[in-house]
Amino acid sequence: MMKRVLVISVALLFGLQAGFVMAAATGNPDTGPGCGLGKLAWQNYPHQKTIGVQVLESTTNGTFGSTTFGISSGTSGCTNDGQFWASEKTNIFAAINFDNLAQDMAVGQGEHLASLATLMGIPADQQPAFFAMTQERYAYFIKAGESSPTAMVKALNDASATQPKLAKVSLNK
Amino acid sequence: MGFRSHRLEPHKSFRFVFFCCLTAVFQLSALSGGAAATGDSSYLTELIERATAAHLADEREWHVLLHYNRNLFSGFTSMQDDPGFFMAPDGKTNPQAELAATLTRFFSDELVGRSKQPAQCAFVARYHWLKDKLQFDDRRLPAQPCERFWRWFNEFNAEAISVIFPTGFMNNPASMFGHTFLRIDAKGQTPQTRILAYTINYAADVPPNAGLEYGFKGVFGLYQGNFSTIPYYLKVQEYRDIENRDIWEYQLDFTEQQVRRLLMHTWEMGNAYFDYFFFDENCSFHILSLIEAAEPSIHLLDRFPFYSIPVDTVRLLAESGLVREVVSRPSRSTLVRRKREAMNQEERSWLNQLIRDPEALKSEHFRSLSLDRQAFVLETASDYLLMRGSGAGAEGEPFREKNKAILSARSQMKVAPTEIPIEPYVKRPDLGHGTSRIGFGAGWRNDRAFEEINVRAAYQDLLDPEYGYTPNAQIELMSLAVRHYHNESQARLERFSPLNMISLSPMDSLFQAPSWNLNLGMNTINFGGCQLCTNGYFNGGLGGAVESHFVGRQIFYAMGQVEADASKAYEDNYRIGGGATFGMLTNLTDRWKLWASGTYLRFPLGDKSEDFRWFVGQRFTLTTNLAFRVEYNHRSHDNDVLATLQMYF
Repeated sequence: MMKRVLVISVALLFGLQAGFVMAAATGNPDTGPGCGLGKLAWQNYPHQKTIGVQVLESTTNGTFGSTTFGISSGTSGCTNDGQFWASEKTNIFAAINFDNLAQDMAVGQGEHLASLATLMGIPADQQPAFFAMTQERYAYFIKAGESSPTAMVKALNDASATQPKLAKVSLNK
Repeated sequence: MGFRSHRLEPHKSFRFVFFCCLTAVFQLSALSGGAAATGDSSYLTELIERATAAHLADEREWHVLLHYNRNLFSGFTSMQDDPGFFMAPDGKTNPQAELAATLTRFFSDELVGRSKQPAQCAFVARYHWLKDKLQFDDRRLPAQPCERFWRWFNEFNAEAISVIFPTGFMNNPASMFGHTFLRIDAKGQTPQTRILAYTINYAADVPPNAGLEYGFKGVFGLYQGNFSTIPYYLKVQEYRDIENRDIWEYQLDFTEQQVRRLLMHTWEMGNAYFDYFFFDENCSFHILSLIEAAEPSIHLLDRFPFYSIPVDTVRLLAESGLVREVVSRPSRSTLVRRKREAMNQEERSWLNQLIRDPEALKSEHFRSLSLDRQAFVLETASDYLLMRGSGAGAEGEPFREKNKAILSARSQMKVAPTEIPIEPYVKRPDLGHGTSRIGFGAGWRNDRAFEEINVRAAYQDLLDPEYGYTPNAQIELMSLAVRHYHNESQARLERFSPLNMISLSPMDSLFQAPSWNLNLGMNTINFGGCQLCTNGYFNGGLGGAVESHFVGRQIFYAMGQVEADASKAYEDNYRIGGGATFGMLTNLTDRWKLWASGTYLRFPLGDKSEDFRWFVGQRFTLTTNLAFRVEYNHRSHDNDVLATLQMYF
């Protein structure tokens, strides 16, 4: 019984919240690599949806459909049984985390940059040189990233190849 | 409504087992055309006989893997709702038949379940458990290669499992209790690269363009809940960057074998769905079910027969000795707060200017700060602008533009960032007080002495100890108080409230969220000639709060109020009005907190009247789960003093 009353009281609250704001939902343009991951980016998160939708998303904790990351769900979009295709991992990471990467590159360190370096196959002992390079040529990489995250990853790869301390990495590619 | 049946003590029924054998044989003959044809049917019969003799279908591990619950009177029902999850037609309610049918299907490479794999692969945890128990002879029951499963399993390169707990999010009522999911920690993962790990998330599957009805559906179990493996960096963005929730990470003390069992069962979940219930069969509940699959000897789900609050499940794991390491991941807003606290007055002023106009960084005065401090101010400004710009669509554009200018300047400063300790806003949640509360008290209402017992299902009020909870946030669900007045012959229900919430967000130059409150229920009033009369009320308000640090820490707040009352004490039985409330909360010491508030309300509708109320309360913490309160409530011609000893559990 207690649970029933609990449920009703919270449901009432949802009703109130959702009643306050009802805005039109608009689509989110797909701006990522070819497999359709741009839809995953959060560009318009709080504003493209009604408050009611946000409430529901957290009642259910469901933000993505189970198709993309569903376990043993087969192949769809950029994923295989819920895991990213190996070939797309780095590009997807760069696309989704572009804001955090830009901050890390400007500062010359950070977990998003370290994770990108790891995905690019840069060994831990060469990562400090890689970080320094991203800070040194920050404007160049960001410009590339603004046209497309894939272009930024390519620019980072190419730059690593011409950097003496990092050249070995690209040879391994 | 999803009431799960209570689990009773196990009992065995011989007749039941015998009946199941018959079912199993029936299964066997029914499948002989397809499944058994590819295998060795005498070996299948032998395996089923050995499994029956060993009572494998009665074993805890089988019940965990199939999500069976004992029914109220007899028999079992699986909580799992996808028919493809069961190999026997009556598998949802018949563990023995399901086991026999599962063995049967292991002889076949026919594709089963939603994931369309041979049974050995679709139900890989069942296969490995039965293989171990019955010592399968690979020559007579050939093992399937299960490439899909092994590719998936190897991709994780798993070493450990962490439970991730994004703390409550007050401005979205449905996430106010937080969320839990698992992270699959990879071998060689460092604190810097753990965002690359995959998670195991249980969520309801909701159509993309949802509306109002979805909140209800989420609560009432009308959605299918599914498991998915969303990369942790996406979850970090969602909770840390966009919703500004501190995240706590609890790494579990699992062996390689336990990690493997957990992942095997997770793979099976690709064939499963559960009806999703916000309160009981929710994220936390099903995350515990995966942990039970990793180690069936621990009983976790039994502890949550009615509802599971995420923090309680985390606490249970910690108390069960399953947690190896705990780390926090502060939200973007916590980063901004803590970094600003580490600045002097001048630096804070530059922070405010840079956020308004990045051109300020060109000023000579700013450039006269040491390079370290310039960098620190720019980094903080960038954190703030990211906080405002992330996921904010067109409205976020000005913040993103300013952030570009700030970062471009920062990239030219070749100094390492200043590392400061970032204390999370919400302290370690599993060390906070229990989420339910019972209080025993006594006092006087005017000239009447009374005793009181009060109970609250969940969760936190503004006077409760804050450790482990979101500061300045009150969420009370289902609270009631019963009083016995000495000069009355019987006890009465003094107060009852299904929902009572207050969110105070101190405002300053960087943070400007409003404060609000919402309260409904019944209380006992003295009004006019009516003594101890029952009154139903609804009260809501909106306003602002500020924080100061004179002695300890204070929050001052002011809110406009609307209120509707219904009672036979009133002329026309109701009144509706509005007014304002002012209040102050202060933490005098770590254990001692005061709360004072004054409210003026005028009711122009119904019984035309006005009300002046004030309240003073204090709480002293004795131990984590024990506190002492004294509260004084005043309304016109009505004074109430109450002293209570409160226990959390």
